[in-house]
Amino acid sequence: MKKDSAYTKKKATLKRSYKILPAVFLLISVLLMMLPLEGPVASMKALLSYIFIPQIRAAHGMAEYSKEVNEAIKGLLNTHQENEMLKTQLSKIQLENAQAKEIFEENKRLTEALHLKAPNKWKGIWAKTAYREPSQWNSVVVDKGASDGVQLRAAAVMEQDGHPILAGIVIEVNDNTAKVLLLRDEDFSAVVYTSESKEEGLLVGAGAADLKLKYLPLLSAVQEGESVYTSSSSSVFPAGILVGKITEVARSNDLQSYLTAYVKPAANSGMVQELFLLTKE
Amino acid sequence: MKKISLLILFFVIATILHWAFMALLGNWDISLNLMLVFTVAVCAFLPPAYGYPTAFMSGLFLDFFGVQLFGQHAFVFTLCAFFVYSLENRLEFTSVVPQMVCVGCLTLFAALGNLILLKVFAGFSAWNGIGPFVGGIVGSVLVAPAIFWLVQHVLAAKNKIY
Repeated sequence: MKKDSAYTKKKATLKRSYKILPAVFLLISVLLMMLPLEGPVASMKALLSYIFIPQIRAAHGMAEYSKEVNEAIKGLLNTHQENEMLKTQLSKIQLENAQAKEIFEENKRLTEALHLKAPNKWKGIWAKTAYREPSQWNSVVVDKGASDGVQLRAAAVMEQDGHPILAGIVIEVNDNTAKVLLLRDEDFSAVVYTSESKEEGLLVGAGAADLKLKYLPLLSAVQEGESVYTSSSSSVFPAGILVGKITEVARSNDLQSYLTAYVKPAANSGMVQELFLLTKE
Repeated sequence: MKKISLLILFFVIATILHWAFMALLGNWDISLNLMLVFTVAVCAFLPPAYGYPTAFMSGLFLDFFGVQLFGQHAFVFTLCAFFVYSLENRLEFTSVVPQMVCVGCLTLFAALGNLILLKVFAGFSAWNGIGPFVGGIVGSVLVAPAIFWLVQHVLAAKNKIY
């Protein structure tokens, strides 16, 4: 019982002292505010400096370090941006490089074409493929037109291994462009002759299949592997331009009144890039 | 003894962080009063025997750098501690919202109190504009839950001695 009352008394004293505590600190604070900054306050500050200065140094160290980190992050972000920019530049340069390569190849082909002798016996003009309709692979639009002297129904010739080969015929002429119908088109036709058997026939396009050489005499000795050239009977094409090679002669039908041969064109329709368009004298 | 050592360690860390934040946020004119947040957190979770001396010492730490007046921070911080102990039974300091509200109000009170004391005792006006004033309050309110959490889980006693 005595113990309990002593504990309660101690607790009450503690509670009282806690009520006094803020009053004491407030009184000291007011006294400190009233004191002049020189003298006791300066001495107190000097004493406190021993306690607080190391922490302030540490804080400044931390702040400096975090500023360095900030700079490092900024540097990293700049590097990232620079990297992205360089990547874009690299892709652009790669694209330009690919274009330059293509131009180099084109230049090579044109240089070879300039040394080409065969087209020189005809008058004409070199033209580049400017456009090819995605749905019509059997015709191309070239970058030369009426203003350059291109005429309707002019023969279009390609160069292969230094020799001229027939590529198609001009079917449309505008001021600065012209449309060329290629050999494979079903509307294409030309009078041709075979190199060995010297037989004449009408060559017509057949789309993706080989060209058809129609109206060959039934008793002619046309053979597979013979070359086919444009004939002098043609009013459109000059004679002697290579067209292709016979791959098959159809003799199976007994009721037929003429022979039909299949010709693989020398000109690859998918690779038409430069054409020599013949012009009349 | 262990609690006193921990409290001193926390006090030292708080002083370092206070000045580090002052140096960093000074670029944006924000004066974060981390010492006040620490004081309020200590008073919220520790008995007055720890809270009042912490408040007084935290105030003295800030007064140490004053050139016009010495003791005004100690005065204001002690008053803040008194308010916290007075509100203890009315606010639930383990929840984030009361922590933030209390810190916000006391930061505002401390800022105004310092201005008034400086004007009364030193005849000096330390008003830096509304930006740093509001920035400091908002910053203190935002860091309050983290400091309260640390003090509650590392320093706080299970039973307060009254």
